[in-house]
Amino acid sequence: MIDKKTHRLIRKEIYIVAVLFFGLFIAMIIYYCNYLENDSKDFIYNAYNSRFSVFSDDVVRGNIYTADGKVIAKTVYDKDDNEVRTYPDERLFCHAVGYVGQGMAGLEAQYSFDLLKSNIPLEDQINNNLSGNKSPGDSLYTTFDYDTQMAAFEGLGMFDGAVIAIEPDTGRIVAMVSKPDYDPNTISKYWDDITDSTKNKSSLLNRATLGAYPPGSTFKIVTTIAFLRANDGDDTFSYNCNGKYDVDDYTIHCSGNKKHGKEDLLKAFSNSCNSAYAYIGMELDRDKYIGTTEDLLFNKELPTLLESTKKSSFKIDSSTKDSIVAQTAIGQGNTTVSPLHMCMIASAIANDGVLMEPYLADKLVSADGQLVSQTEPVEYGQLVSKEESKLLQSYMAAVVEEGTAEKVDFGDELTVYGKTGTAEYTENKNITHSWFVGYAVDDNGNKLAIAVIMESAGYGSKYAAPLAAKVFEAYFQ
Amino acid sequence: MVNVITSFSRITILSFVLIFTIIDLIQIFEYKLNEAVYSVLSTIQSVMVVLFLFNGLYVLFMAKDDPGMIMLGIFTCVFFVGFYVAVSKLCDFVPRALINNMFLFISFGIVTLARLKTELAAKHMIILFVALVISLLVMMVLKIIDRIERYMYIFAVVGIILLLIVAFFGKVENGAKLSFAAGPIRFQPSEFIKLSFLFFISGCIVTYKDMRGFLISSVGSAIHVIALVLARDLGTALIFLTAYVFVMFIAYKNYIVLSLEIGVATIGGILAYNYFPHIQTRFIAWTDPLSVVDDKGYQISQSLFAIGTGGWLGSGLNKGMPNKIPVVTMDFIFAAISEEMGAIVGLCLILCFGCTVILIFNGAFNCNNSFYMLVTSGIAVLFAVQTILNIGGVIKFIPSTGVTLPFISYGGNSMLSLMIYILIVSCCNNLYFDSRQGRRHD
Repeated sequence: MIDKKTHRLIRKEIYIVAVLFFGLFIAMIIYYCNYLENDSKDFIYNAYNSRFSVFSDDVVRGNIYTADGKVIAKTVYDKDDNEVRTYPDERLFCHAVGYVGQGMAGLEAQYSFDLLKSNIPLEDQINNNLSGNKSPGDSLYTTFDYDTQMAAFEGLGMFDGAVIAIEPDTGRIVAMVSKPDYDPNTISKYWDDITDSTKNKSSLLNRATLGAYPPGSTFKIVTTIAFLRANDGDDTFSYNCNGKYDVDDYTIHCSGNKKHGKEDLLKAFSNSCNSAYAYIGMELDRDKYIGTTEDLLFNKELPTLLESTKKSSFKIDSSTKDSIVAQTAIGQGNTTVSPLHMCMIASAIANDGVLMEPYLADKLVSADGQLVSQTEPVEYGQLVSKEESKLLQSYMAAVVEEGTAEKVDFGDELTVYGKTGTAEYTENKNITHSWFVGYAVDDNGNKLAIAVIMESAGYGSKYAAPLAAKVFEAYFQ
Repeated sequence: MVNVITSFSRITILSFVLIFTIIDLIQIFEYKLNEAVYSVLSTIQSVMVVLFLFNGLYVLFMAKDDPGMIMLGIFTCVFFVGFYVAVSKLCDFVPRALINNMFLFISFGIVTLARLKTELAAKHMIILFVALVISLLVMMVLKIIDRIERYMYIFAVVGIILLLIVAFFGKVENGAKLSFAAGPIRFQPSEFIKLSFLFFISGCIVTYKDMRGFLISSVGSAIHVIALVLARDLGTALIFLTAYVFVMFIAYKNYIVLSLEIGVATIGGILAYNYFPHIQTRFIAWTDPLSVVDDKGYQISQSLFAIGTGGWLGSGLNKGMPNKIPVVTMDFIFAAISEEMGAIVGLCLILCFGCTVILIFNGAFNCNNSFYMLVTSGIAVLFAVQTILNIGGVIKFIPSTGVTLPFISYGGNSMLSLMIYILIVSCCNNLYFDSRQGRRHD
């Protein structure tokens, strides 16, 4: 007979192996919990997941509202008592809200799970169950302001392009329009036409978040920040503009070949002087320039609570030709941005440098009016320093007061800050995208940041800035 | 009405499984508990199993309006009683905690199969009884074999020959050769060779007690593994390899050899990855299943849709769409359980599997005969690896390998071999026969 102690000693390896394997089981449990808590949403909302049809057996899909309580998506019954998803405002919210029918898109897809959940009291659910009725699903309240959205939609008119407006101190998106658009009510009927790639319209693409545009002169905001960072925040600068700037065998012209004469940085910015900014671009250390753009979220996933966004791209390196760098500094070159990204930069400048992550879904409310969940604003942190934002605010004010947007009527009650842009995108320099990026403040200190792009419209000051004025008016009235 | 019962049952089923699991976590310290406590806890566990079984089947009975469900429950209980009586006749001490776990898994299997394909559940029931009879016969034979380690070479040779037959003449399924048909029955030798393989390496170790044992068993194991690799059954090859590595470690207590063996196995894994295209596709399906969702990643994506959509509480029995998952009754049955009964039940199930592994190791620790101590340890490793490969593959913890979930997946071969495992573990103190000494008790 072996005594207990020796027995334990000679067989302790059994428990070493036992603990090892039990550890693997624990690791598996941790992975499993993590999947359910964090990663499962990617899978649940995938278009290949056919399980939604099961939920809709018991629950009627909830409505979607604007922040001011207008229904923008609801479920009604046709004459055969079938459920039909309808969108009363047709095209107005199509890209943001999306559709149900040909698969799902937009908020309809992202919140499908929640819209098909019912949080009415349990006894009502049981009663509905027993009587064979469906329970009403929870409703989604978005951050949209109906009038602001309408102003942006109508202002864009027949032009292709995008408008996005964000509240700088919360990140709430109050308007988001993209054109060309589609009618979500009839998406199934016209699906083949809408997705016909030979027509090259890409109506389904939300240009506000997924567009990739040359930023044009609006990029001078970024170059200005790079200049300030290269000079420790000092904006002392002097340049004598004679209407053009030569680099390699390439000549950069000021808009309309205008000679701006002697300028400081504020003048160069408000005049949108291409020569001065091409010169600044050549003087900047390229690595630091790249560093600044990356601080400003270029080549990065944008920090938002939205489903999908497009990375903006800023591509120069030590081997890039000088002429390309000079063009890049004035927003041409190979740089691309999304309107959302430009709006986020304006929003951070308006908010003393602090960026709030943009979001669209405000809260979920059950059919009996109980709050189910509420999105809290998320602070990304300081995108630019407070001092930089103060300087840029004064520059952007000068654009509106005495610069390129001087002639635009923004109304008397608002103080407007901005930057216009006129972006070339083909070899033909006469066809240009019209940009306006900026924000407005009213007497009570309420702010709204905006980015407008109108494709092939012409000068930013002539098209995009007046549209921004209309959106501001609708929002602040 | 059916909806109310289904919704309500989500909570009751969850509570039964939760109580069972909590007791399980106490029971793994079975040898520190006194007999009365152990007995009370085991009884509560048995009650929970039966409640779970009938709750699940009742929901299905209401949902499908099929009285056969209740019959399934009754037959399962008859099987439980039969198994329990058989074990108590075979050995002095009945490890009730271990057997309760096996009963729980079998109940999960019956309920889930009845939910997925009712006719499969009926077949599964027949398999249970046939497997019980055959496994008891096997136990009788083991009990009368005089000094079983003397036949170790026969185990090795028979095992290797069978594996080679499968490798060259077997039927190809999912890129691997696993089985061959004998009439209506599909025979999958690797399930049984797992056991003969353990008998072989344990026999070598107890016969020689020195380097010779190590060398002979290593060579033998290598041949087994190569035969499996030839059949492209890499999941099973991995199970054999792991069992060999850890049985050697328990026998020789050598950390250096352990780390060397793990190193060699890793290199082997990398080579296998480079030489077998079907492993590479499984890796892609593992790292980013959604990128190949309509092709190689279809199965794992469907599994993850099911688990994710079911959420923590599950959709309720018969309310989900588990039949969307390919081979859900075999490899992916865990996803069906997680979808309909909820991830908390899934989590409990993983814990119960972990506890079962510890309980088998407890059996090994207390075994008074070194041959069966090694066999039992090997069984624990086999059981653990098989469970981890299956559940891990279903939840995307590791690439999927196509092994079944012990006691729950549909399939006669694995059910029979698992039942033999549990009987050997239960009776490991009463199995060894040496005609020179009678039954050895040292």
